[in-house]
Amino acid sequence: MLRLHRPTLLACALLALLILALYASVGAAKPFHTWDWMDIVSEGGTTVLAACWLVMLLSSRPGGMVTRWLSCGLAAILLGNWADLMDEFFKMGKAFQWNHWLEALVGLGMLTLTVGLHYWRHEQAHLSEHLEKRERLFRDHRAFDRITQLADADYLRRQIRLERQRRPDANCAVALLDIDGFHLINRQFGQPEGDRALQAVGHMLLLNLRSDDLLCRYAGDRFALLMPGASEAEAAVLVRHLCDMVGRMRHHAGATLVPLTLRHACAPADSAPEIVLRQLNLAVA
Amino acid sequence: MIRYSQAGDPFIPARHQPALVLDYARSRDAHAAGVVRGTGLLPDAVPAAGALLAPRAYLQLLANVSAALAGPDTSFMLGQQMLPGHYGAVSHALLHAPNLRQALDTLVAWQSRLCPLLSPRWREEGGLAVLYWSDAFGAPGQLPFLVEMHMTAVVAMCRWLSGRRLPWRFCFNRCSPRQREQHEMHLGMALQFDCHLDAMLIDAAWLDHPWPRGNATAAAMAREEGGHAADAPALLVALYDYLLQQIRCGPTLEGTAAAFGASAATLKRHLARHGTHFQAELDQVRTHVALYLFQVRRYDNEQAAAYLGFHDATNFRRSFKRWTGQTPSLLRGGLNW
Repeated sequence: MLRLHRPTLLACALLALLILALYASVGAAKPFHTWDWMDIVSEGGTTVLAACWLVMLLSSRPGGMVTRWLSCGLAAILLGNWADLMDEFFKMGKAFQWNHWLEALVGLGMLTLTVGLHYWRHEQAHLSEHLEKRERLFRDHRAFDRITQLADADYLRRQIRLERQRRPDANCAVALLDIDGFHLINRQFGQPEGDRALQAVGHMLLLNLRSDDLLCRYAGDRFALLMPGASEAEAAVLVRHLCDMVGRMRHHAGATLVPLTLRHACAPADSAPEIVLRQLNLAVA
Repeated sequence: MIRYSQAGDPFIPARHQPALVLDYARSRDAHAAGVVRGTGLLPDAVPAAGALLAPRAYLQLLANVSAALAGPDTSFMLGQQMLPGHYGAVSHALLHAPNLRQALDTLVAWQSRLCPLLSPRWREEGGLAVLYWSDAFGAPGQLPFLVEMHMTAVVAMCRWLSGRRLPWRFCFNRCSPRQREQHEMHLGMALQFDCHLDAMLIDAAWLDHPWPRGNATAAAMAREEGGHAADAPALLVALYDYLLQQIRCGPTLEGTAAAFGASAATLKRHLARHGTHFQAELDQVRTHVALYLFQVRRYDNEQAAAYLGFHDATNFRRSFKRWTGQTPSLLRGGLNW
């Protein structure tokens, strides 16, 4: 990701060098014994930290408006502090004003950063909407599977426990869905096609869920579905509909049509998640 | 004199299993340079034809991939594609195996090509077939990973070739993992942990069930073409076999070294390079034999002590506790074959 932002980082470094050159050429170097170490450490530290934030931000984000606002803000804070630091080493004549303007960059940067954070909140709300059926109530980025972008079995167990704690008397159902003969797809077309089939089924299931439901990849080709508020009968109807929808998909591996069907088991989540899931596993295996 | 190969001897064709592992790592977007670190392979390149890898490098590759992907299912996914594989005639012999019995025989006979890192052995007795696995090149830290990978490989192969899920039961020489869903999904629901043996059990009736893809003639031809397994067995495998054969005669380091055509110091050094020592290997074989006597032959402590050449049951009981950390009676109650 960092390679993408190389021009921004280069520009930032060049500006810092330019400021250094400016101070060195116009100002008079302060003698060593007059250096105020307290100021040097605090201003230098802030500069280094701002640089760290900028690199961390850029290494974790693609380009775009939000990234631009955030990185400009951080870069301005960085450069403002850098100019402030130069003040400690070079004495400027009273005639100069621009060095104060340079130091004012810090405030400008904070303003820019705030605008960036505001847009970032908007972006986050959109992403959360996108993730709605994949996660509930709390976020744990380690729990997500690389292929389907769904949470894993551990996340599901924690959610079942949480749901039972929050609303012990309400209905709640869990279902397991298993792709029939999935291993044959892997054998016949290779693992990458198997991964594609998993993604296709995952998408199809997500499209047909209520906004409260949580879909997880339990393990291998087995998906798990948590349906808060659904009675056993309602859950059975929903799950049958899901199997029906997946059965109607026309999934292709290369040019070959691969029929995908699911088998399922469904139960109320009325005891410890380990027990419920064990029964469901035995039923669906 | 018993010949043997060691962890540093290159004999694993890099285009066989290591290439599959690289492929899998690539499909999961693992960092290419990190995956091949310390293996002598090149990042982002198919291994050269004819390139050979030492078991130590292959183990390093697996460790790298496991660390790079950090997923709970890496070992199982690698196992899914491992057998019968594309390893020449021996893979064809597996592919055309007419039944489970012959598939297992093929797997054991050509283990240095089909599963070089973990050695399979199987025996049939009392209506039960037991396939058990032991470390071939000294990778104690990687054993759980290797066991998951190899057990999954056999289960997935049998499921594909027999056209159904075979009712395997599993014993693991480790404590129960925190989460079992990967084991349950890729192996089955009949799992048992803390068994002091990594074994797969199945009713012996399944051994001779004909497999739909089986073709006895094609399998025999492929086996012939595969030739006699010319590679020397791994040191730990050869040692296990030797100790098993001598287990009733109180084998010693000196006697064993003589049988292997080496001095006691050399054998010691070679074992140390595999992260083990003579007594540990001897204790492992004795544990396996004792478990076999208990579970299959239904021996009591007296009989097992007599069989293994102990003076009395008390001595045997004490030794057994040293090998396994448990008394024979406790372990016998816990295991359920």
